[in-house]
Amino acid sequence: MSYNNYDNQYSTTSYGAQGGAGGGGFMGGSQTSPSGEKNYTKDSLRPVTIKQLMEAEQISDQDFKSDGAEITQVTIVGQIRNVAQQTTNVTYKLDDGTGSIEVKQWTDSEAVNNEDSNESSKLAENMYVRVWGKLKSFNTKRHLGATCIRPITDYNEVSYHLLEAAVVHLYFTRGPPGGAKGAQNGGYGAQQTEGHGNEGMTNGGNPEVGRASPAAKQVYQAILTSPQTNEGLHFSDIATRLGWQTADVLQAGNELLDMGVIYTTTDDHTWAILNM
Amino acid sequence: MDEATPRVTSQYLEQFQNRTIRILGRVTQLRGDQATIDADGQVTVILNRDSHLTLNHAVEIVGKVQSDLSVRVLNATDFGTNIDFTAASAVVDATHRYREIFYGAPDA
Repeated sequence: MSYNNYDNQYSTTSYGAQGGAGGGGFMGGSQTSPSGEKNYTKDSLRPVTIKQLMEAEQISDQDFKSDGAEITQVTIVGQIRNVAQQTTNVTYKLDDGTGSIEVKQWTDSEAVNNEDSNESSKLAENMYVRVWGKLKSFNTKRHLGATCIRPITDYNEVSYHLLEAAVVHLYFTRGPPGGAKGAQNGGYGAQQTEGHGNEGMTNGGNPEVGRASPAAKQVYQAILTSPQTNEGLHFSDIATRLGWQTADVLQAGNELLDMGVIYTTTDDHTWAILNM
Repeated sequence: MDEATPRVTSQYLEQFQNRTIRILGRVTQLRGDQATIDADGQVTVILNRDSHLTLNHAVEIVGKVQSDLSVRVLNATDFGTNIDFTAASAVVDATHRYREIFYGAPDA
């Protein structure tokens, strides 16, 4: 269940980042501005190992990249090795088996006696905790500014976190699982470009089409793979290409219109693929 | 820099002699200052004063692999009785398969 969520989340962000890093040149289907999407990349929450944090590439004062994607909000799971109570913050030394890092949680002076501070005072050495925070750099030394620290109660979360960090690392370095790069996640633009001259493709573009009837799928495919202007294709043209009766094309087209995966252009019977 | 403690199971011990590792296993025997844990195979652990192992509980041990492939405990954490060892083995597999995010070479 959660993997699907991550697929969605990371696909949008990674494609945005690639668009930004591609530098110049027209990226097929990059309808939204790459710089606009980059901000979402920064804001995504990424599960990482401490080794990844220590080795993340520093791209500016407080910005870091890991596996080519910008990171700020991260989550780690580790064991507390040391607790140092200071006047303005509590510094924990966290070890997750891949390395160790200092985690600083600022003390909220107005909340000294409420439950929050009691909760953090329960954190002791050798406890396993999950931390959400931002990677920061101060005098070349890296630490994690913690937003929230929660003790681990089910130790399977340790395994879960490490596996999740590995999955996300592989996603960024090798693309989505199954070698279906972009086929189901996000890459509409890329699919559209590849679509021309790739007649063998069974289903590209919008994943919604997967739910359509076989006839509608074929019509969608025909529009996707036929050379055309930005005005799309007339339904009689599609009928000729598929060797179908126009009524059948019309029916399939109406199904696709209802699904919102194609739209009418110059008139009701000229259709183009709706690119998200 | 602090050394990483790669997660291993019994099969990996030979490759990690004299290194500090992390091993998760179920306690199968307690005999004084030694114990046996099952981590995809039996592993002898040499306890320290602070380690409190409970029979049949899962325990995560940070320790140094001896030349006889026993593990000298530096730190032991009780993981209770509700541990999915299949997931733990998957973590060990991922650790060594994608080591770039888990641990470096011994002298790195």
